[in-house]
Amino acid sequence: MAAAGTCGTGTRSTGSMVAAASTNNVTSFQRRGPRASGADSGCSRLVSIAGTRPSVRNGQLLVSTGLPALDQLLGGGLAVGTVLLIEEDKYNIYSPLLFKYFLAEGIVSGHALLVASAKEDPADILQKLPAPLIDDSYKKECDEDVCSHKMEPDIKMKIAWRYQLLPKMEAGPVSSSRFGHYYDISKRIPQELIETSKWHGFFLPEKISSAFNVESCSLTPGYMKLLQFIQNIIYKEGFDGSNPQKKQKNILRIGIQNLGSPLWGDDICCTENCDTSHSLTKFLYILRGLLRTSLSACIITMPTHLIQNKAVIARVTNLSDTVVGLESFIGSEKETNPLYKDYHGLIHIRQIPRLNNLIYDISDVKDLAFKLKKKLFTIERLHLPPDLSDTVSRSSKQDLAESTKLLGPGCGMTAGGKKHLDF
Amino acid sequence: RHLSPRLTPSEGLARPPPPPTDNCPNGSFRPSHGKIVERGVVPTCVYQHSRGTIPREPSWDSVEWEGRSLLKALVKKSALCGEQVHVLGCEVSEEEFREGFDSSINNRLVYHDLFRDPLSWSKPGKALPGGPLEALRALDKRTGSGPATIALDSLSWLLHHLPCPILCQTLHALSRQDSCPGDTLPGEQVRVLGLLHEELHGPGPLGALSSLAQTEVTLSGTMGQASAHILYRRPRQRPTLQTQWFSILPDFSLELQVEPLLESQPPSDLHTPSVDPTTHLTFNLHLSKKEREAKDSLTLPFQFSSEKQQALLRPGLGQATSHIFYEPDAYDDLDQEDPDDDLDV
Repeated sequence: MAAAGTCGTGTRSTGSMVAAASTNNVTSFQRRGPRASGADSGCSRLVSIAGTRPSVRNGQLLVSTGLPALDQLLGGGLAVGTVLLIEEDKYNIYSPLLFKYFLAEGIVSGHALLVASAKEDPADILQKLPAPLIDDSYKKECDEDVCSHKMEPDIKMKIAWRYQLLPKMEAGPVSSSRFGHYYDISKRIPQELIETSKWHGFFLPEKISSAFNVESCSLTPGYMKLLQFIQNIIYKEGFDGSNPQKKQKNILRIGIQNLGSPLWGDDICCTENCDTSHSLTKFLYILRGLLRTSLSACIITMPTHLIQNKAVIARVTNLSDTVVGLESFIGSEKETNPLYKDYHGLIHIRQIPRLNNLIYDISDVKDLAFKLKKKLFTIERLHLPPDLSDTVSRSSKQDLAESTKLLGPGCGMTAGGKKHLDF
Repeated sequence: RHLSPRLTPSEGLARPPPPPTDNCPNGSFRPSHGKIVERGVVPTCVYQHSRGTIPREPSWDSVEWEGRSLLKALVKKSALCGEQVHVLGCEVSEEEFREGFDSSINNRLVYHDLFRDPLSWSKPGKALPGGPLEALRALDKRTGSGPATIALDSLSWLLHHLPCPILCQTLHALSRQDSCPGDTLPGEQVRVLGLLHEELHGPGPLGALSSLAQTEVTLSGTMGQASAHILYRRPRQRPTLQTQWFSILPDFSLELQVEPLLESQPPSDLHTPSVDPTTHLTFNLHLSKKEREAKDSLTLPFQFSSEKQQALLRPGLGQATSHIFYEPDAYDDLDQEDPDDDLDV
């Protein structure tokens, strides 16, 4: 479907150019026929969908994940019709943030939302979405952050002339042409934005209580209900493009929280070999089919650290398009590692889809870490922290060099030798 | 009521002793606590789940190793705060659970007995489809008004009798109750305390249950001293981890203790205050203030300063001051016309 969608936008954009030209009478080329006369009525149809843009690489229609840095890592954004799977961190602190960014971006862009959860009421989730930051204020945030960093060491660094003119390394993978917004997680989204937005909530305990013992299908009843719900919304609201002429097209953003957790009635987290282990994969398969034939994008958070059978994780990864794993340092030995002291966790881009392409958009850096600041969740390249202390003993530096070897090739160049490096 | 009728404490105490354990249909169950305690490895996990804002958190004080006494201590604490306490007892008889509490606490305590008749065999006419599950759901309805504490003794038993997902769903429903009245009355809160024998379960159910819990207390101990590792998940914040040493008094009140000095720790402390290696040196490693200023003002050859730039931009000055002294050698090729004349071409 996504291909059809992009073709649509392609023709639409050229059409809109023609329409604009015709109204301004700039050129002598005038298009005769019904189009010129119907320009006013067709105007809304010609405008591309808000909050989307075609990919520069393969022409796919993209939506933002709500986190410009993540968009950049995933090749510009999340393609419409695909699934983004977030592997939850151990204590499930950071993955809900990505989930909420995705939904908040939908509200700001005017997309329709479908929020499914077995744990929290979707209305509550929407209430707790972060507030969007206007671009100026985001800059201010960043500047403040940089300033506060600069204030501390007041020593001017002496740089050799050879290296003086090297471009400054961007900490985060953010390009100039972003189309998502930044969000302030310390504030909540304005109430009027939620009220004007169109959203559908699926709260499992409410849906399941009426007919609990329906076990006729091979699918777990919770999944069955959710699929029916999603399908119903897609068909009823016209996200499948069945009536393209009638109203303006819009994107449906689907968010499914904690999929696969026992609260969904799935026991892949509880036992290694269970009868219903195919339930989740079947669900994902059908869901992907639904997404491919509609103007929708889906984010799923899944507690993969709880799933006992590793084969299930591999299948789930194959069945989703984009897979991003979050690994927080809390409770792990990395928390005290000096290498990671500036960050709160690592972010792993496990899979990026190949859409209309044989290759995929690979980012140049594989070692990425995330940090949760007071207001922003940021993704940065993982750098070795400069070794400023005089008292670091040689052995601990050796340790540091050893631990850097665990990293991928991005930082590996600096840590190739066994001896430590001074900065 | 399909459960055994609610008992006032006096009735409960007057009852005959409970039937022997072979009354229990599932023989595999009933772990021996004594053994686990002897081994001294993480015997139990008290699982606490509270909803909304956290009610007065009982201070994790004195306990022994085996987790039931900690559970009883928490139950006592809740009862002393004036809460209604519902206990779903599966592993011990009512008399055993009530033992050690004084009457004011026993009055607040409602014991739902699953131990005596877990599958309701003594009342065959009723023939409930799901014994433990129904009991759990019934608890949900019973705690309608006011803050209440639900103690599950134990989750291990329930895990053995119920599928894990269903237990998780029920527990979640229990702790969030019907959200409508809870939102209007912030004071109305339900706390769920659960006892879990960690060693009886695989990592799957443990992970699933702990992901639901807000506070997780894992008991262990060394040298006769019990300790609790408390993992507290604050909503949308980093979880906190701490270890608390405690003991439980005979009347089930908690007493905090200081961390016992372990023998392994002092030696490591003694070794670490190391001597500064830079003190006795034959050369100087430290800079005085004057020396440091001199060092900072020095322009290093690799630095690109404005003076250097100026010098490079003024070619006339450079030509005037520098000369190349060159004395031609005998073999030097001075013929500019043909650079290849030595090649005989």
